[in-house]
Amino acid sequence: MNNLKLFKRQSVNELATFYSFLIGFLIAIFIGSIILLIQDKNPFDTFSLMLRLSVGSVNSLSSSLNKAIPLILAGLGISIINSVKLWNIGAEGQIFLGAIAVNFVYINSQINNPTIHIFVLLIAGFIGGAICILIPAITKVAFGVNEIITTLLTNYIVIGITIYLINGPWKDPNSLNFPAAAYVGEEVFLPTIFGKLSFGFLICIFFTILAHYLKNKSVFGFEMRIAGGSAMTAVYAGINAKQKAFLAMLIGGGFAGLAGAIELLSQTHRVSTGISQGFGYTAIIVAAITGMRPLGIFLVGSLFGALSIGGSVIQTIGVSTYIADIIQASTLFGALIIQFFFNYQIRRVEND
Amino acid sequence: MIDIQLVGLLNATLQAATLLFIAALGELITEKSGILNLGVEGMISIGAVTGFMTAINTQNILLSVLVGILSSSVFASIHALVTVVLKQDQTVSGLILTILGLAVSALLGKNYVGKKLETKLENISSINEPSNILEVLISQNIIFYIAVVLMIITSYVLKNTMFGRRLEAVGEDSRSSDSMGLKIAKTQFIATCVGGAFAGLSGVYLTLSYVPYWTDNMTSGRGWIALALVIFGGWKPYRTALGALLFGFLEALVPRLQTYGFELSPYIVKITPYIITILVLIILTVYKGGITGAPKNIGVPFFRENR
Repeated sequence: MNNLKLFKRQSVNELATFYSFLIGFLIAIFIGSIILLIQDKNPFDTFSLMLRLSVGSVNSLSSSLNKAIPLILAGLGISIINSVKLWNIGAEGQIFLGAIAVNFVYINSQINNPTIHIFVLLIAGFIGGAICILIPAITKVAFGVNEIITTLLTNYIVIGITIYLINGPWKDPNSLNFPAAAYVGEEVFLPTIFGKLSFGFLICIFFTILAHYLKNKSVFGFEMRIAGGSAMTAVYAGINAKQKAFLAMLIGGGFAGLAGAIELLSQTHRVSTGISQGFGYTAIIVAAITGMRPLGIFLVGSLFGALSIGGSVIQTIGVSTYIADIIQASTLFGALIIQFFFNYQIRRVEND
Repeated sequence: MIDIQLVGLLNATLQAATLLFIAALGELITEKSGILNLGVEGMISIGAVTGFMTAINTQNILLSVLVGILSSSVFASIHALVTVVLKQDQTVSGLILTILGLAVSALLGKNYVGKKLETKLENISSINEPSNILEVLISQNIIFYIAVVLMIITSYVLKNTMFGRRLEAVGEDSRSSDSMGLKIAKTQFIATCVGGAFAGLSGVYLTLSYVPYWTDNMTSGRGWIALALVIFGGWKPYRTALGALLFGFLEALVPRLQTYGFELSPYIVKITPYIITILVLIILTVYKGGITGAPKNIGVPFFRENR
């Protein structure tokens, strides 16, 4: 009798992740086209408009890249935490707490030099993100509490605190219809480099290189991989696995907190629920779909930034903005499905 | 005679709890088999919109409920296909399912925003002014009683039937289950679809009775609360129900706080269930030596090494 059996491939193509993503994207464009056709919209026109309005001019390209900054930074943080084989579902909360920390330091400090002031606020954001993951990190390392669950729960707590602050102690009396904190002063706005592109993008490039170095080239990265691998190997190698896991979590949380700080200082200029529109969740997917590679996160994060700008502008021609979400989700499901075929092989075997 | 405000609070608690509990119970079944599905929010949304659309077009309530359940179940099978058959990461797949579910339901329901229902899910008996707790309990929506029945059945099935034992074995130790000849993929596939069906029922209840209308993102985080509830309940149906009552009570309490004359901020009240859940999780982990009730293989794709 013949049977189909699954085999894990011995060697997987280096670019497998890239190819699966590409094929996934093509599948998604195909699905998007069908949905557009059903709605009596010309897919070609729609997609070319999306392309033009997301990357076609200096202004649109810079908006797209601005949108990519939080995705990339939070994604990098997630990939660092994944080096010790832990998940961080709490990037959304870390982004918010980063922004809260920025506002807290802004309100309670007096710094006259704007450059130093901005620098201090960015660090405050990083620390805010790290504080946000502190309880999941401690409970993971000390008691072994599942970090997927605790980081997920902290999102709600932090977003709850945000809503409390902008409706209570930090409420801006001038903002009547939309609860938000008062704007920060113009002296701490992040400068733009070209078009509308925020200085945050340079920070983003720097942190991408840093994360790449940290994960793949540094001693700490090597120790993280060992710590995340087998417990016994870590003991033999004299590596304190718990300490590495703890540090990795704090650094990863800090990356997401920094994303919140940049979002506040360059986009919203105040604490509100608009600090993140689900960036923390999208970042998890961006990180995972690239196999947790910093350079891949940078590229896919940029693409998703463009996609979300493109998705929001096609509303003007009466196409639902949710098309962009569907393209995003189908790309990812497509990529996951294709990745299976890169990693496994189906062979026909004879039963004995 | 009991206080009219108290009756209102009790009613609101039971309704909010029912909505959360059904979705949580479905996720519990899925997770028991070792599959984590973070797509609950998306699945509820799909059930909510398809049920609502059917109700508008056919005015047939039973059909609407069935369509909602079925479409969420089919939607959940995407997660099953990607994680069980193709062995991809469950966390990622579940998150994508949420994004896809919210987007697809918004697209489907575009022309249904603001439409009014002709018929909706009815209460069993209509007692206009319930004067004691018993009368409140017997005048609930039919879905409330279905939820109670589902709770009893699920608990029984998990503990006392072959299917339940198989489910638990697969979730706890897939390798041994495999060598015992249990069909892992089939069990997990079914459990995921059942989880989707429950989420669909919860969604139908949302649009056909609880609210009842359709707008984008109307699930407003309930799917995520359902996920927290499973943890709170230690993967046990009755304790999950208790958690649902607590979360439901707090949801019902928030808009009423001011009438009771409390100065406490409603936003702080809203986050207490999450803090309690984290504390419960820590206490369980510390005092029970890591036994939180979580299935051991949760999140781990099963692959039989071939030689």
